[in-house]
Amino acid sequence: MTFNSISYFIFLPAVFLVFHITADRYRWLALLISSYIFYGFLLKPSLLIVLAFVTIFSYYMGNRIDTAGNKENRKKLLFFSVAGNLAVLVYFKYLAFLVENLNILVGFLAPGAAIPEPAPLVSIALSFFIFQAISYLSDIYFGITKPEVHPGHFALYISFFPKLLQGPIERAESLLPQLRKPYEFHYTEIRSGLLLFVWGLFLKVVVADRLALFVDPVYNNVEAYTGIPLIIATYAYAFQIYFDFAGYTNMALGGAKLFGLNLTQNFRSPYLATSCADFWRRWHISFSRWILDYIFQPLQMKWRNLGKNGTALALFVTFLLSGLWHGASWTFIIWGLLHGVFLAASTYYKPYKKQLHKKLGIDNSRWLTIWQVIVTFHLVSFTYIFFRASSIEDAGHIIANILNIYSNYTEIKTIGISEFITKNILIGNRKIVAITLLLILSIILVVYKHRDESLFTKPVWFRWACYYSLFIIIVVLQISTKTDFIYLQF
Amino acid sequence: MIAEEIQRRMTEVLRDVLDNEAITLTRETTADDIEEWDSLAHISIIVAIENEFGIKFDLVDIKPLKNIGEFIDLIKRKTS
Repeated sequence: MTFNSISYFIFLPAVFLVFHITADRYRWLALLISSYIFYGFLLKPSLLIVLAFVTIFSYYMGNRIDTAGNKENRKKLLFFSVAGNLAVLVYFKYLAFLVENLNILVGFLAPGAAIPEPAPLVSIALSFFIFQAISYLSDIYFGITKPEVHPGHFALYISFFPKLLQGPIERAESLLPQLRKPYEFHYTEIRSGLLLFVWGLFLKVVVADRLALFVDPVYNNVEAYTGIPLIIATYAYAFQIYFDFAGYTNMALGGAKLFGLNLTQNFRSPYLATSCADFWRRWHISFSRWILDYIFQPLQMKWRNLGKNGTALALFVTFLLSGLWHGASWTFIIWGLLHGVFLAASTYYKPYKKQLHKKLGIDNSRWLTIWQVIVTFHLVSFTYIFFRASSIEDAGHIIANILNIYSNYTEIKTIGISEFITKNILIGNRKIVAITLLLILSIILVVYKHRDESLFTKPVWFRWACYYSLFIIIVVLQISTKTDFIYLQF
Repeated sequence: MIAEEIQRRMTEVLRDVLDNEAITLTRETTADDIEEWDSLAHISIIVAIENEFGIKFDLVDIKPLKNIGEFIDLIKRKTS
């Protein structure tokens, strides 16, 4: 049951009704049972055991860390509890990848020998709720938060269905206090939650899935293309992944609002970032804050005697792990490495860059900002080649051929412009005009903040015209092939 | 060392590390109030403050700090 499925459109209102008629002191239970039903019906009911294990283990260990007394014991318990959670993640998500790569080494050392490779396991949602459990345990260790007393509230904090599958990764101090408060019905909150939900659905099924029509044929068969189609598909993917994930996040935030809960906003116009560091302040915010707070900061602190080298190394390692988190494959690892290299490099040149801008008198120039936005967007789009490509070889082909416009020129000379467009840009799908229009629309949407509460101050006829238009657009323009959200695989 | 002195020197360090001369601090200021003070810049600021006051922090000391006031109190304890 994913957010863009019919069963969820029945499930969500049904849970809301049950939640609404339940006595306030049992509402957490209604949401907890619903969350377990939601997860159980997803793909693999056996994963419920993993969810329950992570919950019970982290609840117990949180209390142990808090009452451990001396610093050394606290540290040992934190290490044990984080290792326990990571062991679950590694077993489900990385074991097959580890054995596969170990076998390369084994084959090299002892030809003919091999470790039997385990079948890849389903690990849906695991990395999100395990990361949340680790943040809870670390925050107790650091004295940022106290352990949750109510086991039911804690279980709901880990499993609350709108954020279970793809986040946002919620901090204990942000979500747990909300779960403890009695629920109050606010019509305006419900209304803005519903609009946010429908808006997210629009971004997913109309915008992101439409862009995918253009990305998939090229990226699934890269050998057949050079130059322009590769460029367009890569740009289209940058917007597809944003609208896919932002769409999901809006649906998560909107759904949570129905129950009076506010989740963390994950995006802040990421493609308007003026540097890679700025990009990570705006993109998948709950995740980037997680890796910076729990991986980068401890590493930077440990290596602080190395000065800038220590910071650069800490960034490099952090983003390498971030790539690995996205998936057990070399393409994701290289994607993470590239971001690590960009950020590590910036620690060295940033001071000089500022000086240079000041010297040239352009440090407050609007043109400089525009230039920085364009450069950052292209650096990020470049990394997406690895993120989206099916293999390292495919990514290599794209990089080697993406700027080969000359081959397009010779092809146009041979077959003519209209045949070229049909073959390389329409690629058997006549929705190109709509795609282009939506691409432009998408860019406008990124630039202008879309969640404009001012809609609710407009006259009734205007508001309802907007609601109906959105509804009709979703029904008419949705892409009928059912696709999952991209981040579901992570 | 008196709190005012610590606060003045902290302000200088922050202005220097974050390259923003407009930064002013009160006891109630939090990292969220200063745009450039994010997770990426956090430890660089901590290390610059360590060097300024000739002290060493542990992550456990600095993570629970809620605002500049608590930070000043921590520096006061460490330097006394």
